[in-house]
Amino acid sequence: MSLVELKNVVKRYGTNTVLNGVSLTVEKGEIIAIIGRSGSGKSTMLRCVNGLEPIQGGTVAFDGIVVNDPATDLRKLRQHVGIVFQSFNLFPHLLVEKNITLAPKVVKGVPPAEARALAEAVLRKVGLAEKIDAYPDQLSGGQQQRVAIARSLAMQPQLMLFDEITSALDPELVGEVLKVLEEVAREGMTMMLVTHEIGFARKVANRVVFMHEGKIWEQGPAAETLGKPRTPELETFLSAVLH
Amino acid sequence: MTYSFQFRDVFAAWEFLLEGLVLTLELSLVTMAVGLIIGLAGAAARVYGAPWLKRIVAVYVETIRNTPLIVQLFLIFFGLPSAGLKFDANTAAMIALSINLGAYSIEIIRAGLEAIPRSQIEAGQSLGLSPVQIYRYVIIFPALRMMFPALSSQFVLLMLATSVVSQISAQDLFHMASIIQSRTFRDFEVYILVAAAYLVLALLFRLAFAGIYHFVFARR
Repeated sequence: MSLVELKNVVKRYGTNTVLNGVSLTVEKGEIIAIIGRSGSGKSTMLRCVNGLEPIQGGTVAFDGIVVNDPATDLRKLRQHVGIVFQSFNLFPHLLVEKNITLAPKVVKGVPPAEARALAEAVLRKVGLAEKIDAYPDQLSGGQQQRVAIARSLAMQPQLMLFDEITSALDPELVGEVLKVLEEVAREGMTMMLVTHEIGFARKVANRVVFMHEGKIWEQGPAAETLGKPRTPELETFLSAVLH
Repeated sequence: MTYSFQFRDVFAAWEFLLEGLVLTLELSLVTMAVGLIIGLAGAAARVYGAPWLKRIVAVYVETIRNTPLIVQLFLIFFGLPSAGLKFDANTAAMIALSINLGAYSIEIIRAGLEAIPRSQIEAGQSLGLSPVQIYRYVIIFPALRMMFPALSSQFVLLMLATSVVSQISAQDLFHMASIIQSRTFRDFEVYILVAAAYLVLALLFRLAFAGIYHFVFARR
């Protein structure tokens, strides 16, 4: 059974169809890069996977659980699906430690001492062990995003979603975040990442999915798909972002 | 105009004033606590609740904000006994003031809740937090910090407004002033003194709120 299965997913905002019959499967351990123009539906598709976006047609399943079934306990599901956002979305009034330990403590009931150790461990992984007692606004954008990744990791998810996580960063800060991402990838995490970093996608992803007009237009192994696009739309897109 | 102030008789009745002051303080503190709880719960219902719940809260808020406090007070103290609900003056005062402040607090806190970015709620949801946990750990603190100046100013207004409870014979500061006035006939002196007492009280409350802001909210 695939870890993620989207079947004919349709998403509309009013009369505007954002996803027009999207089908995609993701196997455990895979790293999927999702690329495409803004407005092509890539972020929306990602947000359907953990149920942040209700859908109007089709099914989304994670680990065999139907995400869009009203009877599904989304809170339980989301403990296994981490997401990192473009704008970090750290809790500004909480210390880095509390940002990371909040969910483990109140959702999973991890005792405080253990939670602190957990925060230290995930912060070490993202190279920010010394920032445990800082507030988010004392950190640079790149550091905040690394804390957001650490916060997500602390829940020990089976799947991580990354929604354009370097798009809001100054260019010189992108590298440090991508490095952390590579590190997470190396540990075997299943990842779906919406990104504009084509070079990174080629390097890290197993598979590239190109979205266009609410559909998966083309997909395949990263190097092959990015090297020899089969559709003119992908070719145009690639030449636009690479130059 | 010549008027020779004579505070001696008025000062002699200081025990009355102190007693009134204590009730005014009690009324204020209890009402602030209850009003804050009503405000937090009501604002959550108003912003995140089901449509029917939102409507009920809206009706409550608008009814209270658009009728005079003294009428609300009289309804509870003089009106409700006809329906078999009888309270002593102090309790009736506390209920009326709490209901009143609750409505204003809901409106103020609602504005704070609406200013919290949707992305903060999504971050909480994505971590598996329940709606109540999101409200408690993610939303309340930044919302209260944002609305703290408006809220504390409303609380001070409430403290000053407690003076109307003397109208139902609750023995607050203002009621005691009337008693001293009727004994000494020193109207000017009594009301100067009582004005000064309210002024000092209001300033103390503002100082206390500034302290709370500084120690609880300012850093974060």
